[in-house]
Amino acid sequence: MKDAFLFVYRNMKERRARSALTVLGITVGIGAVIALISLGYGMQAAITEQLIEMADVIMVTPGAQELGSFGSYGSFTDRDLEAVKRIGGVKDAVAMRSAMEDVEYRGETFRLTITGINPQDIAAVFGETIKREAEAGMAAGRDLRENDKKACEIGYSIAYEYFKQDMSVNDRLTINSTKFRVVGVLEKQGGFRAGVDSAIYITTRDSISILDNQDISEIFVRVRHIEDAEKIAAEIEKRIDDNHKLDDFTSAMTMGSAIEQLESVFGILQVVLIALSSISLLVAAMGIMNTMLMSVMERTHEIGVMKAIGAKNRNILTLFLLEAGVVSAVGGVCGCILGILAARAISFGIQTAFDVEIVAIVKPEVLLGGIAVAVLVGILSGLYPARKAAKMSPVEAVKYA
Amino acid sequence: MIHTEHLTKIYRMGEAEVYALHDVNLEIQDGEFVAIVGPSGSGKSTLLNMIGCLDKPTSGSVFIDGIDTALLTDNELAEIRRQKIGFIFQQFNLIHTLNALENVALPLFFAGVGREARLKRARELLLNVGLEDRMYHKPSELSGGEQQRVAIARALANNPEIIIGDEPTGNVDSATGHAIMAILEGLNKEGRTIIVVTHDPEIAAHAGQTKRMRDGRVRD
Repeated sequence: MKDAFLFVYRNMKERRARSALTVLGITVGIGAVIALISLGYGMQAAITEQLIEMADVIMVTPGAQELGSFGSYGSFTDRDLEAVKRIGGVKDAVAMRSAMEDVEYRGETFRLTITGINPQDIAAVFGETIKREAEAGMAAGRDLRENDKKACEIGYSIAYEYFKQDMSVNDRLTINSTKFRVVGVLEKQGGFRAGVDSAIYITTRDSISILDNQDISEIFVRVRHIEDAEKIAAEIEKRIDDNHKLDDFTSAMTMGSAIEQLESVFGILQVVLIALSSISLLVAAMGIMNTMLMSVMERTHEIGVMKAIGAKNRNILTLFLLEAGVVSAVGGVCGCILGILAARAISFGIQTAFDVEIVAIVKPEVLLGGIAVAVLVGILSGLYPARKAAKMSPVEAVKYA
Repeated sequence: MIHTEHLTKIYRMGEAEVYALHDVNLEIQDGEFVAIVGPSGSGKSTLLNMIGCLDKPTSGSVFIDGIDTALLTDNELAEIRRQKIGFIFQQFNLIHTLNALENVALPLFFAGVGREARLKRARELLLNVGLEDRMYHKPSELSGGEQQRVAIARALANNPEIIIGDEPTGNVDSATGHAIMAILEGLNKEGRTIIVVTHDPEIAAHAGQTKRMRDGRVRD
């Protein structure tokens, strides 16, 4: 066997450039698949991790809302809020009154979402995970207080990204013709909670009296025990639907179900990505077959000689399959290395360009699988040329010059 | 013993059928040295390929030690070639990626002989043909005569009873040709059957027996 490998090695060495290109084909194919799978795992982990932090949260919105759809209709009433608060196992139920308004700051105007919230509920909503921005020595300010009037607490993007000029504590912005003072800037959230970054929070009282927005657009619920979340979500939907005498009016989404939905989305995404990157693998397989067919043709005479001196069909088949196997195994190993490097480079690129931290997760079983797939692809594409070589008539092959 | 019965080989050239071998019946006893001579196209190489189990007849058969080779499968024919027959070609036909030693050891590799035993045997064989100091040279680094001696050593690797040579001296100068024939004569004296195809009467003179061919038929 060792000699068979040596023989294969000599043949590959003799056609160095061609062997290298064939190996490269497999390398790129396997590398692409491994990089995409690893990035996919990384992305999934990053998002799941953020969601798990919020596993005790139920988002209640009007209208049957699904992940990825932005439209919702109708609104809740204070009676709905009270009904939710009375459900056993609900720790906090916070009403949010959101509306799009024109926001003007130093001559620039954008239409942004203004959310009315009771200041004492801010801690319940954001918990310990959110901090106020204190970057670059800027005064971070404070949270909204109950007796604040015409005051707002703003997200990171509002403060630093939307408007040409940065905002800080005590700056004033005009919402729907009324001046509001910035009391606090929230720390950058990004990722799944990027919504907070472009939010402007005001007190419920200001929302009702100044913006005339009575409608509760969302109820934020925290449960005492995560395992009750699904049951409570169902109960919330039932009670609010009863209040409005409508079916399927309310959507109460637990983060657990969001994770499930995301996982199925990622499952599909992974399959699509793998399918796309498999095209390069298919091309590589054709490359191997082509190389092996050329090799068989060039070595027809040699095959004839080997048969004349007693090689059986099986011996010839083994030699050529071994060559295809070695080429693809080398390509598979190189592909693993390339895949790891590419995954790291891409995750670094995403981090730099979009400021989203996605660490590529390279699983050993994916690497082993990659090498196995490479060898399988190699041997399958080597099978036809090798059979062709094995079946040659010895006298025809010897005569072939 | 080798004998043929109504051995016929027909090649199709488009519409026409060409008789490369036409009802050949001959006998070669064990230990004989036979030269097959004749003009080109007379069928002598085809006959040699049939005897060497490289090619299959259209009809009739070759019997080697009483075995009807026409009834054998590809693998059984390979087995016969490996055990009973050693080939020497005009073009030497060494594997150019392998050195002399590895070339000689190759038939033993296909026979499943272990690496150490293989190389030991190959060294002995190269020593016998006087190439002990050329063992690690690639065929391209050897002269024609040296290559043919490597090929003879390779043909002897499995210790066959029959050595078959298709114009074994066709690609070397006449002095080297005679040296090669001398080696073959030596092998014949060891009791091996030697069959060579040649168109050179001087070479044929080394053989104990000459068979003349013309138009696919043997005329003694």
